[in-house]
Amino acid sequence: MPISPTPPPDKQIKDVDELVLRFEQLGYVTDRALATAVFLVTRLGKSLLIEGHAGLGKTEVAKVLAAVLGTRLIRLQCYEGLDVNSAVYEWNYQKQLLAIKIEEKVERTVEEKEKHIFGKEFLLQRPLLQSILVEDASPVLLIDEIDRADEAFEAFLLELLSDFQITVPEMGTIKAKHVPYVILTSNRTRELSDALKRRCLYHWIDYPSYEKEMKIVRTRLPGIEEELGGQVVHFIQAVRQLDLAKSPGVTETLDCAQSAMALGKHCLDVQAVEETIGCVAKSMEDTAKLRAAGIEKMLS
Amino acid sequence: MPQAEINRSAAAITEFCRFARESGLTNGVQQTLAALEVARTMECSDSQTFALALRAVLTSSKQEWDLFDRIFELFWGASLNASGHDSKDDEEPRFSAHRPTASPQALMAFSGSDSAEAEREGKAVSGASAQQRLQKVDLADVPQEDLLALEQISMRLFRKMSQRLSRRRRIRNFAEHIDVRRTIRRSISHGGDPIVLAFRSRKPRKHKLVIFLDVSGSMNSYSLFLVRFAYALQKSFKHVNTFLFSTNVVEITDLLHTRELPEALRGLSERAAGWAGGTKIGDSLRDFNRRQARKLLSNNTMFIILSDGWDTGEPEMLAAELRDIRRRAREIIWLNPLLGLEEYAPVTRGMSAALPHVDVFAPAHNLESLVALERYL
Repeated sequence: MPISPTPPPDKQIKDVDELVLRFEQLGYVTDRALATAVFLVTRLGKSLLIEGHAGLGKTEVAKVLAAVLGTRLIRLQCYEGLDVNSAVYEWNYQKQLLAIKIEEKVERTVEEKEKHIFGKEFLLQRPLLQSILVEDASPVLLIDEIDRADEAFEAFLLELLSDFQITVPEMGTIKAKHVPYVILTSNRTRELSDALKRRCLYHWIDYPSYEKEMKIVRTRLPGIEEELGGQVVHFIQAVRQLDLAKSPGVTETLDCAQSAMALGKHCLDVQAVEETIGCVAKSMEDTAKLRAAGIEKMLS
Repeated sequence: MPQAEINRSAAAITEFCRFARESGLTNGVQQTLAALEVARTMECSDSQTFALALRAVLTSSKQEWDLFDRIFELFWGASLNASGHDSKDDEEPRFSAHRPTASPQALMAFSGSDSAEAEREGKAVSGASAQQRLQKVDLADVPQEDLLALEQISMRLFRKMSQRLSRRRRIRNFAEHIDVRRTIRRSISHGGDPIVLAFRSRKPRKHKLVIFLDVSGSMNSYSLFLVRFAYALQKSFKHVNTFLFSTNVVEITDLLHTRELPEALRGLSERAAGWAGGTKIGDSLRDFNRRQARKLLSNNTMFIILSDGWDTGEPEMLAAELRDIRRRAREIIWLNPLLGLEEYAPVTRGMSAALPHVDVFAPAHNLESLVALERYL
């Protein structure tokens, strides 16, 4: 039967509105759709899969959720070739070898020695095991960019997400005391397996509207002049209409605005854009495309 | 904001889940249960929020996410998206819709009915020498009556090739690292001295393959064998995604995933786009780059283009798109049937624009040359 995470009673979130509010207090501007999905994570104990383009704050969701719930955030960054040794656990070999040497003269049977060196103190806990071993309250487990890991790992993850237990052959099965809240993110560089998707709630993060992006800029950069902020957001929204290899996300908006502020600009003109163009276009081709499209035109 | 009045009784929600499934979502019983649980936990929330919650539960991909609004509207008669900006863009046409065009007759001739096959079998070329000859003959010049024989040979050769590919990997598979974990385990009985070493070797990782197959008029006589070639390659690679292109692109990966090739070819003829028409390689690649490249190309992907390089599009665009692919993929292999002709030189505008970005440029005019490709893969 599904097991649900247990938040500490005082941190429990009453409804979606409260969640939106709490997120905003921590500087994360969210819309109702995302807040609803996150709320369901805390209530139903299902994992949440967030997809969307890079730089739109997917990872941030987990961080803020952990802060709201007042629990630990455990993060697993996926990459190609990620294996059990770096995701779940590994034995501390050096320590084991030393232990064997030390125990050489001790009168014990081989079985006893084996039991000793495969004890808990020789186990290096990697993120997934950590998330299961947490003692006090359900942590937030962030599995970042799951699309980068290979299918084999995805299959392993499935097993973990349904039972929240890990088997270490030398020790036996470890079951989670507190089932973690799981947030998975994906940049959609490959299609995830249906089985995994089935198990998760789904949320698609799109580029924000002008109003929302303005709100984000105001929240994250409290010192920014209203005019400059508006111009940056307007400009970036125009850039997104171009067909760049890498469209700028909200991160880029913030970078661009921050750079303009650091350069002492009060408004965004062609020169200011040229000086901060590296914040927006991340390759030579994109830069060229941007220039060809006419920076001046996009600013107006 | 048009508020959706949602009936939250279990019956209504179950009915909605069923409706969503019939309308193209992939939700199952589990999702229905989850939806019911949502109804229970979110009793006092407003309808809008409740609808958003249903979306989170019932969808599982961007496509479904976009579809949900319409399904929702159809069922409850009110729009989900009051705020509007959630689904603003991306109403892109899908990666080439099924466009009924004149079905390529050559194709049907190939997949031929059983009776025709039996009838011809007697006449088919037999004997080793004939087979040898057929392997070398230019695919464009194969006489009609030899086609069937050639087809059989090609299947056999390609099958052999895929077997060889996988065996080659196994032999290369030697121990690279010491497996410390197992070594320690074994060393316990020697008092901690690692006498018996345990090795661990890298798991051979199969490459992924993207095949881009030209089916324009100039390639007509080769296209069908090349499809077969793509089919055969599927067996020895982790993933093979196959696309046909002429003036636009169609993905046929799913069609080639059948056990029986004739069946696949029949499906092909229904889906082919602009078969035997003009060629716009640059445009096609651009289409691919926009929609699929991010998903399919990675540093262990080989990109194979099968085309004669007769391009009516802009060579600059072709070069730019190839450069894009080159940056994402491991290798670009361009197979050109014309390269088998002695007098051929790759001087067409398209071809000469493309060459600087291509890693391997090889012929693909007869079976022998196709099988020889093995060494690049």
